Amino acid sequence: MANGRTVIIGLDGVPFGMIKEFGENGVMPNTGELIKKSVFKKMNSSIPEVSSVAWSSMITGSNPARHGVYGFMDLQPESYKMTFPNFNSLKVPPFWEKWEGKSVIINVPSTYPVKQMNGAIISGFVSIEFEKSVYPQSLIPQLRDLDYRLDVDAGKAHSDIEGFLVDLDKTLEARIESYRFLWETQDWQNFMLVFTATDRLMHFLWDAYEQKDHKYHQFFLDHFSKIDKAIGEIADKLTDDDLLIMHSDHGFEKLDYDVFLNYLLMEEGLLQFEPGADASIANISSGTKAFVMDPARIYLNYKGKYPCGSVEPGQREELLSKLENIFSSLELNGKKVIRDVYRKEQIFAGPYLDDAPDLTLVGGEGFNLKANVKMQKLFDKGVFTGKHTQDTAFLLVKGLSDDSIVPEVPAVWDITGIVERSKS
Amino acid sequence: MASNLSQLDKLENQSIFIIREAYSQFKNVAILWSIGKDSTTLLWLVRKAFFGKLPFPALHIDTTHKFQEIYDFRAKYAKEWGLNLIVTKNEEALAKGVGPDKGKFQCCNELKTVALKKAIAEQGFKALYLGIRRDEHGIRAKERVFSPRDEDFEWDYKNQPPELWDQYKTKATEEEHLRVHPLLGWTEIDIWEYIKRENIPVCDLYYAKNGKRFRSIGCETCCGPVDSEADSIDKIIEELKTTKISERSGRAQDKEDDYMMQKLRSLGYM
Repeated sequence: MANGRTVIIGLDGVPFGMIKEFGENGVMPNTGELIKKSVFKKMNSSIPEVSSVAWSSMITGSNPARHGVYGFMDLQPESYKMTFPNFNSLKVPPFWEKWEGKSVIINVPSTYPVKQMNGAIISGFVSIEFEKSVYPQSLIPQLRDLDYRLDVDAGKAHSDIEGFLVDLDKTLEARIESYRFLWETQDWQNFMLVFTATDRLMHFLWDAYEQKDHKYHQFFLDHFSKIDKAIGEIADKLTDDDLLIMHSDHGFEKLDYDVFLNYLLMEEGLLQFEPGADASIANISSGTKAFVMDPARIYLNYKGKYPCGSVEPGQREELLSKLENIFSSLELNGKKVIRDVYRKEQIFAGPYLDDAPDLTLVGGEGFNLKANVKMQKLFDKGVFTGKHTQDTAFLLVKGLSDDSIVPEVPAVWDITGIVERSKS
Repeated sequence: MASNLSQLDKLENQSIFIIREAYSQFKNVAILWSIGKDSTTLLWLVRKAFFGKLPFPALHIDTTHKFQEIYDFRAKYAKEWGLNLIVTKNEEALAKGVGPDKGKFQCCNELKTVALKKAIAEQGFKALYLGIRRDEHGIRAKERVFSPRDEDFEWDYKNQPPELWDQYKTKATEEEHLRVHPLLGWTEIDIWEYIKRENIPVCDLYYAKNGKRFRSIGCETCCGPVDSEADSIDKIIEELKTTKISERSGRAQDKEDDYMMQKLRSLGYM
């Protein structure tokens, strides 16, 4: 075991129930075989359950108060101006900077811009310039020859779904070609490959998964079958000494309603904007007590912390209780809209706890919590048919000599620890 | 100093050769003049190459968001140098209200890229002279002196011809337009040293005022000045020899952020 290689396959957003079903019904036969021979469990995502936080937690083996990434966007210090945390924001090194040997890392979200490392890396969502997404740069011409695509253009899904689906498959094919190329040409000890089109597909076409007569039902299944073929190919290349991990970063489920939390705060008089200004976090006025950042991070508008801050430390407890009441009592058609309301100390621990949201919410089944301040209603149903879930990611581990090192209910930041313990 | 002058002479000779070569091949050409220091230097070289008179149009893509100093400079020198100036705007997008406040990525794309595309289609230009330099920006380091763009305006990395400069071969297929980059081998310091030597006029925005100056100019809404006391060409050259800040630092981050926002929005965030 100690000399074996480690291979990690990530399937962005794929829920435990779906991978189990596809393993059993023949959509993903190779995965089905692997499940039989592995530790296979439901896994918790990070909170919030978005890719940037979940993958940052996975690769660092730590929670946001240690690695510092709480979402796709944050506010610049002492301002209401957005900033976008990226790989440079990560306060804990990823596993490839700690583990022995060379690593090949392909398409892990939130690894842009790439840094020099012992091995090769192609960053994933949100990558902008190709030149800053690949290390070493000498790989760029070959990746271009393989028509490597960093990501699908999800914007296209809103106007041209057919074109979007074609892109989705092309991106997958090029990703598979590129993994083969790097697998064969690089000298490596650790290999990680993430498929991300799954997440896009489930956002836009969860209905196609559920409805057998849906125009794109077969496309949906075929896409997963193509991934399964690559999984089978990789599994065949492994020996008994190698460790294989397969996992998702969060789960997915049907989206019934988008819930616009900032609208709720506006209605309650807790969020106000400068007179005459657009509804925007940038235009928050001093009447504001709290505001929400995507997906469901609640920040108190503290005096001294923000330019128009008005909340005194003494008001904290009263305000948090008030907000907890508002959020926990929210119902629609008899269903609880918000599953849980967490204070920062409950779910985060580490040196960057101060940067954590004061409250973080997890939505109830079917409720997609959002922070868009422009929406003039609390509930809506938009273009998306699927939403992330926090408690239905999956983890599969094959090649352990002692299965008990996998926690009963693992979380996404436990994965690197499982690998490290299996080698010790 | 003598060796430096000969370096500038060498760059000047190469650029003039490329400029003449492309013109003799394509005839129906234009120079893209952003009014910045590089394209103004290029314009200077083109005038030299053709003995003071531009035999083709200077094309300015007007986003309508440029600094007033840029418009003033354009008017003054278009007249003084007798330029055949074509000013083009994406009127359609402007009428629809496209602007930096609605999204900088879309703004840049519509008001610059699409506007240029329209101008090329309308005028039927076969080649365009651009004042880009290899040291300017990561992606530009990959450009060649002759760089073909296909019908869709995409830069085809894979079909990029080998360095044509060495081959003296400048044929392009019918459906493409060729981008000619006579300044590709120049550095920012070369440009300033040449501006000094030739006494080329440049926009006042480049010189420090109240502790700030612009190293790269374009739209008022998206360019930020850098901290600087360099209020003369000599001081600018001195500053460039010691600075570690990138030339486009006033512009790059905003655009990346905006692209990021666009990507996140398409997935339902923000």
